[in-house]
Amino acid sequence: MSGGGAMSILVDRHTRVLIQGITGRVGSIQTRWMIEYGTSIVAGVTPGKGGLTVEGVPVFDTVEEAVGETGAEASVFFVPSPFVKDAFYETVAAGIHLILVVPEHVPVHDVMAMRQHARLNGVIALGPTTPGIITPGEAKMGIMPASLFSSGQIGVISRSGTLSYEMAGILTEAGIGQSTVVGMGADPVVLTNLPDILERFEHDKESGAVVIVGEVGGIQEERAARFIAERMSKPVAAYIAGGIAPEGKRMGHAGAIIRGSTGTADSKRKALRDAGVEVLETPMAVVDWAREHGI
Amino acid sequence: MRLHEYEAADIFSAAGIPVPARAVAATPEEARKIAEDLGCPVVLKAQVLAGGRSLAGGVKVAASPVEVYALSGDLLRRDIEGFPVRRLLVSKRVTIKRELYVGITVDGYEGKPVALVSAEGGMSIERVAERCPEKIASLHVDVDRGLFPYEARGIFRKLGFSSQELLSAADILVRLYGVFQSYDALTAEINPLGVTPDASLIAVDTVLEVDDSALFRVRDHLPLDHERIENPLERKGKELGVTYVDLDGDIGIISSGAGLGMATMDIVARKGRPANFLETGGGITEELLYNTMDLVMMKPGIRGVFINIYGGINPIHEAAQGIVRYMKERHVRIPVVAKALGNRQEETWGILRGGGVHVVTDVATERAVDRLFELLGT
Repeated sequence: MSGGGAMSILVDRHTRVLIQGITGRVGSIQTRWMIEYGTSIVAGVTPGKGGLTVEGVPVFDTVEEAVGETGAEASVFFVPSPFVKDAFYETVAAGIHLILVVPEHVPVHDVMAMRQHARLNGVIALGPTTPGIITPGEAKMGIMPASLFSSGQIGVISRSGTLSYEMAGILTEAGIGQSTVVGMGADPVVLTNLPDILERFEHDKESGAVVIVGEVGGIQEERAARFIAERMSKPVAAYIAGGIAPEGKRMGHAGAIIRGSTGTADSKRKALRDAGVEVLETPMAVVDWAREHGI
Repeated sequence: MRLHEYEAADIFSAAGIPVPARAVAATPEEARKIAEDLGCPVVLKAQVLAGGRSLAGGVKVAASPVEVYALSGDLLRRDIEGFPVRRLLVSKRVTIKRELYVGITVDGYEGKPVALVSAEGGMSIERVAERCPEKIASLHVDVDRGLFPYEARGIFRKLGFSSQELLSAADILVRLYGVFQSYDALTAEINPLGVTPDASLIAVDTVLEVDDSALFRVRDHLPLDHERIENPLERKGKELGVTYVDLDGDIGIISSGAGLGMATMDIVARKGRPANFLETGGGITEELLYNTMDLVMMKPGIRGVFINIYGGINPIHEAAQGIVRYMKERHVRIPVVAKALGNRQEETWGILRGGGVHVVTDVATERAVDRLFELLGT
C-alpha cells in the first residue's frame, strides 16, 4: 500500500476501505454507490454512532476500533470541514496509509498541518476538494459518477472533479479507457503535489500515457512541467481551464485564483508546452492525441 | 476575504504592532473633525478593496483641516477600479526616512507559510523581486512550531540589519506571524513598514486576507459590518452560496463544478461571449437551481443559458426540477441548453425536456455549446 508502484496498487478491488462520516446524507449514498461498483468497503466511522450499520457496513466510534476490527487500510472522508483536521490526525494515528479528503472548505492552515503530518508519517493523502480515485473496473474511492469511466491505458490527474468526469467521459465515448483517474484536489494547498502523482503514473505499468487536467491558480502545473521535462518518458497531454478567467477572482475553487501574473492559463500552457507536453485547446482534443499515440 | 486597511490596522495594532494614530470617516465633516483631533498633516486613504489604489489617486496628503474637507469630498465621490469610495482612513502623517517590507503568505506549492522581508518597501514585493532580488530574504515557517524570534532575527541579519532596528523588525515579524496564525490568514503584510528618524518602526499600510474556509472560527474577531462585494450579482451569488463571477457577455452559464465551469466559460468564449461564470459546488437542491436560474437571468441582455452539471455528489434530477419550475413560472423564452450526466441522468433528461430545456446527451461540452449557438442562429 505505501510507497511507489502502480496506481492500480493504490486502489484495487481488494483494498479494504473505511468511510469516515458514513452516517451522513452524502456519506451513506456514496457508500452505496462505491459498494455497487465493487469497492471493498469494510467499515465506517462516525463518532457517537458506533454500533449502527449503514448499507450493511459496520459503523465504529473511532478509527482505531475500525482498523482493529476490520483491517481497514484506506479511508475516504465525508467529514464536515471544521472537523477534518482532527479526523485526519486520528486516521494517521490508527495506521491508515491512504486518505482521500473529499470535503471542500477545509481551512488552509489545517491543510498545511495535515500535509506536514502525512509526510512525516509516510501517509499518502489527496485533496481537500478531491472527487477521489477510481481505477475503472477495479474500485472507486470517491464520488465520481461511475458510468463515465472505462478501463484502459490513460492515466488522468485532475485538479477539478467535474472536469475529470468530462475528460474520462470523452475518452470512454471514443472507446479509450483509463488506467486510474486521480483527483488531486482544488485547494491553495493540496496534500500531494502534482509532480508526486505524475511520478506514480510514470512507474505504473498499466498506464501508457497521462492527461493532466489543470486550471488557473498556483504553480502546480509549472512545477509539473519541470518534472515532466526531467523525469517522464510517457507521453503527457494537458488541458488548462480558465483561459478567460479575470485576475483576482476566485473561480469556484479556493485555489483557482490568478494573482498578478501568477497562475494564469497562459503561464501554465507555455511551461507545459516548453516541457514537450501536448497542450489541448479543448477537452475533446484528447481523443486525437490519444489515437496519435496509438491508444 | 480581504479586510479593509482600517480593519487590518486595528488588528495589527491590537497585536502590538505600531500603527499611526487614525480614524475612519464617511463624510468630509467627519474627516475634518478627525484631522483636527489628530493634528495635521494627515493622510487620507480611500478604503476600497482595489490593488492599485495609490496609483489611481486614492491616497492624498492634507496640510490643514480645510484641505482635508476639500480632498475628502473629492475622494468620497470617486470610484477606484470600479469600487465606490464609501470611507476614508484618516491617519496622522509620520515622517519616514526609509521604507521596508514584511509579509507572510501561504506558499501553496510547499504547503507552508512563508515570511518575506525586504529592505526596500513601498512598492509591490513582486516588483522588488524583479528589480533587486538581493534585497529580499524569505523563510518557510514550520506550521506546527510557528516562527521563533531567532528565525526572525536571522532573516533580517541576512539583509544586514543590526542593533535596535534588527530587534524591532524581528519583533514586528513575530507579531505579524501571530496575527497570520490567529486569524487564519492567507496574507498578512505591512508595506511599507516605515523607519522613522529616531529609528523606530511603524506600519504605514497594512493588508490582511483571511481564509474564507476558516471564517467559522475567526468570525467573532472580525468586523464584518460592511458589504464587501460591490457587484450586486456577485453579492447575490454569495448569499445563495454559489460562486458567481460577472463577465461582460450575453450567454449565461451554470455549472456544478469549478473546473467544469471554467472550461465551459472558455469554450463559450470561442464562439460568443459568456455573461458570467457560475458554479454551484456540491450542494445542489431544487431551490438552489431555481434561485441560480433567477440570478443568471438577472443580467441584462441575456440571450441564452447553458447548464453543465454532473451527478456525482449532486442530485441532478433535483436540479432539473428547479430549472424547469423557474422556466414555467417566469415564462423563459430564450434558449436554455443543458448537459446533465451521471447518476439518474435519464430521469433528469425527462424532467428537463418536459420543461422546454434543450437536452444534449453528448459528453463533450463543446458539442453541447454548439447546440446553443445553433439555436441562437450564430
